[in-house]
Amino acid sequence: MSDNPLLPHLGKLVEVRDMAAEIKFFRVELLNGGGKAFKSSQPGQFAFVSAFGLGEAPFGIANASERGPQIDFAIARLGTVTTGLHELGEGDIVGIRGPLGNWFPMKKFKGKNLVVLGGGIGGAPLRPVIQYVLDHRSDYGNLTILWAARRPDLLVFTEEYDEWRASPDTTLHLTVDSPDEKWNHNVGLITGLLERVSPQVDNTVTITCGPPIMIHFVTKMLQEKMGFAPKNNYVTLEARMHCGIGKCGRCNLGEKLICVDGPVFNMEEVGGLLETYL
Amino acid sequence: MSKSNSETKYWLISQDELDTWLDGLAHAQALTLVAPREISGVVVYSPVENGGHISKVFTRPVLSVKGVFFPPTERLFTIHKTGQEIRLDESFPERETVVFGVRPCDARGVKLLDSLFLDTNPVDSFYLRRRENTTLIGMACDELGPTCFCTSVGGAPDNPQDMDIMLYKVKGKYLVETLTEKGRFLIPGGEWIETNINPKTALSAGQFQVPKKGKWPEHFNDTYWMKFSERCLSCRACAYVCPTCRCFAIRDERLSRGEFERIRCWDACAGENYRRVAGGHKPRAEKGDRLRNRFYCKFYYYPMEYGLGASSACTGCGRCIDVCPAGVDITEVFSDMEGSV
Repeated sequence: MSDNPLLPHLGKLVEVRDMAAEIKFFRVELLNGGGKAFKSSQPGQFAFVSAFGLGEAPFGIANASERGPQIDFAIARLGTVTTGLHELGEGDIVGIRGPLGNWFPMKKFKGKNLVVLGGGIGGAPLRPVIQYVLDHRSDYGNLTILWAARRPDLLVFTEEYDEWRASPDTTLHLTVDSPDEKWNHNVGLITGLLERVSPQVDNTVTITCGPPIMIHFVTKMLQEKMGFAPKNNYVTLEARMHCGIGKCGRCNLGEKLICVDGPVFNMEEVGGLLETYL
Repeated sequence: MSKSNSETKYWLISQDELDTWLDGLAHAQALTLVAPREISGVVVYSPVENGGHISKVFTRPVLSVKGVFFPPTERLFTIHKTGQEIRLDESFPERETVVFGVRPCDARGVKLLDSLFLDTNPVDSFYLRRRENTTLIGMACDELGPTCFCTSVGGAPDNPQDMDIMLYKVKGKYLVETLTEKGRFLIPGGEWIETNINPKTALSAGQFQVPKKGKWPEHFNDTYWMKFSERCLSCRACAYVCPTCRCFAIRDERLSRGEFERIRCWDACAGENYRRVAGGHKPRAEKGDRLRNRFYCKFYYYPMEYGLGASSACTGCGRCIDVCPAGVDITEVFSDMEGSV
């Protein structure tokens, strides 16, 4: 057994399918008994996925570990590594390193209402949060999901909306910037939807993931217009990373490293940083 | 890595004895001797095959000693692809190495890298092996370069801390001090004359008032950084020569058909695309943001992230000042920052 933390486990792709425009769903089964730590990965953690020969990149783990031994990812084709991953099919081997980073304190959220705000591919690391709440439904109050994308064909996990809606005290609100002729949900930015939904502030925490600019305006609205305390607004941040273990220096946000001090922060912590995440 | 120096011993040796010793180390089959060596007109720490290769005159090598432990490019593993099969092969550095002529600022730099690669989990497998297999023989500075300022950041030209053996020039001879078990192991038995001379020299490098760690946050949004960085070319030479800049990139390179290697190589936060993410978002877009990050890393971020206490991550070697083509001078920041807005 290697002691090298930069050596990935090998994993086999057991499911690969188109999920949205240029976004694929990948399900990985780790080989040779590797990656035991994934069995207890927590909602919000991430992992590096290797397209061997092209490199590796970090992605939010998209499933709750309690749902099974496999690891899910939703990956948009944007660069060299993601293009390489999109070219792979079922049976192909990838590398997996993780689980890395901190997580949403789901136990601490017990008894609270949750508002989950996902923008585009930013919905991927929120899926384990939703799954976890659905699987421990009586531990939590209302679950309000605000799900946004630029276009309808960029929405992720659409095939699971029925499962989410069927869960007690759970509502799903959808919005897109540019609708097509079949669209019969909200149109506009997620901030507009948030204003309309106007969630209860008492005993409620929010969890947001999306582009930095969305996180900025969503958390601003939550605090300034709705009166949320920053400590109740959780976000998960992205940054370019090469190691994910606090060594390579690339993902610092002022004095914090997103890979080991994050990626999950509440806005009280992030607000105190020297640099902004924008 | 320094062990107790309760058994510290001193020897006084001649130039001939030093040359014989080093030549012996250079020829030893079991180890590689790295020493200051003149290559293409500049002195760098480099492997030497005989004592004659070692440069006798140098203030400090143009590159720090960090590359001995953390090479500019390093293979993490190789990747073999056959059809759908993937095999990964690893090999770790096992070679014994002795580095001679290490300046105190460079040994301090290694100690600072230890706090990241060894003292903060997870331990770096490659750095750990190189560190364990390497002995540092220091040489106190008997002359200072015009840009040296080690004493301003807690160092000293004759500071033996973090060395295994330390040499001091004393009246045409060399005083040899052993500081660790590893160091004592290299001392030839019975031939050298033991002594008890106090080795301290009286040199002191340039004195600057370095702002304390707690002062940095309040100056973060000063317009000073943008003005100061106007001359910066984002060339990253400062990071290349720095004993403690340790940012790295990881990527795959093709070796041959079906064979690849995953490597890591030095990188630097001043680079324009250093932070660019897939999709195009590029934080720290201005070079002022990036140069500021470098200074904050040395005096605030790195000390906070890796538990350095009141110490900074700058060794005062002055190399970044020497090498900057645009005259960016880290010591200017110290005096300017307090008065900046």
